[in-house]
Formats: sequence, C-alpha cells, structure tokens
Amino acid sequence: MTGMEEYQNGSEGAFNSEETDGIVKECIENVVAGDDYSQGQVNKWTASIVERCLTQLVKQGKPYKYIVTCAVMQKTGAGLHTANSCYWDTAMDGSCTVRWENRTMYCVVSVFAVAIA
Amino acid sequence: MDDYQTEEESIEAVIGGNAYQHSRVNHWTTSVVEQCLSQLSKLGKPFKYIVTCIIMQKNGAGLQTASACFWDNNTDGSCAVRWENKSMYCIASVFGLAI
Repeated sequence: MTGMEEYQNGSEGAFNSEETDGIVKECIENVVAGDDYSQGQVNKWTASIVERCLTQLVKQGKPYKYIVTCAVMQKTGAGLHTANSCYWDTAMDGSCTVRWENRTMYCVVSVFAVAIA
Repeated sequence: MDDYQTEEESIEAVIGGNAYQHSRVNHWTTSVVEQCLSQLSKLGKPFKYIVTCIIMQKNGAGLQTASACFWDNNTDGSCAVRWENKSMYCIASVFGLAI
C-alpha cells in the first residue's frame, strides 16, 4: 500500500508526456494530414500547429508555463538534426517531442512545460 | 542582447568553418545547446532556460520553424539566432522563464 501511494505522489506534480504526445499528434494531423509540402502554405501550417497545441495544453488547466516549437521540412534528402537542452527543475518540469511525416515533409514538434512555483 | 551574443559565439565555436557531415552533426547539435546553456547559467540570473538547435544541410529543401509560448510577458522572453555557412543552416533558440 505504501509503495502505491509513493508512486502516485511522484507522478501527480510531474509533467505527463504521454498525454501531451497524443494531443500534439492530433494537432499536427488536423493541420497537415493529407497535404503535400507547399512553400506558400508552410508558414500558416507551422503557426497553426503551435497555436493549436498551446490552446489544447492550456485548456488542461495545469499550473505550467508552456513553450511549443514546430519545424516543418520538405523531403529532398537533406539531413536535419535537432537538439534541446534544459536548465530547470527536473522533478516538476518536462518535455515531449513528436516526429511526424508524410510523403513530402517532416514535422517535428516539441513541447516544454515549466512548473509555476 | 547578452543571449544573442552567447548563442552566436557558441554556434561559431562549435561549427564555424566546418562543412556539413552526417556523422558529426549529432555531436554538433548537442555541443551547441550544451555550450549555450552553460554560458547562460554562468550569468547567474534567476531563470530556467530551454535551448533548442536545428542544423540542416543546404540542398534546396524548404524549412520553416515556429514557436508559441504561454508564459508571463513581463518576466519571460526568447531569442532566436539564424546562422549559416556554405553547406548548412543552424537555428538556435533560447527561452528564458523567470523563477
């Protein structure tokens, strides 16, 4: 019984990255699923994706500040590498990165959640 | 202003003068973010930091990035630096959140 309580207390304050993963995937698909890379539209897409993700996350009403970043890249064989590093409270703060692709483009979305004291 | 210089210096120090190499780029991205972060934390300000870095090979592909933040506009902020050489682009962003 004690073990169960400890486990629950540990995960209550921490960031839930699985739930966020689901929210982000849904937002990406709502914006770009079925589209081909288009230079004229990509600006709108990245803005929509970050706004939607942020809105859904804030709706959860948790005591966090959020940063959502999105990169969309055309598939032409170019190499792309991304890295993140964070200086924060490892017990309370967390991040989640989702990689998505279709035939013509890659989309990488990262969510960073920083607990409000 | 401090942030912008810190980021630019870190990028220059890690990849300035190098050509894109698939085998090394993983190491470069992690080095850039680590160097930026350690320089920023040395500033000793009451902030939590998030540093992101993207390196892309130049071959004509299109790349678009965006970010949105839900924070305190009075105390928090961000800074993005775009750097390039003949063979690659590097975009580094720093987000600072007041404690």
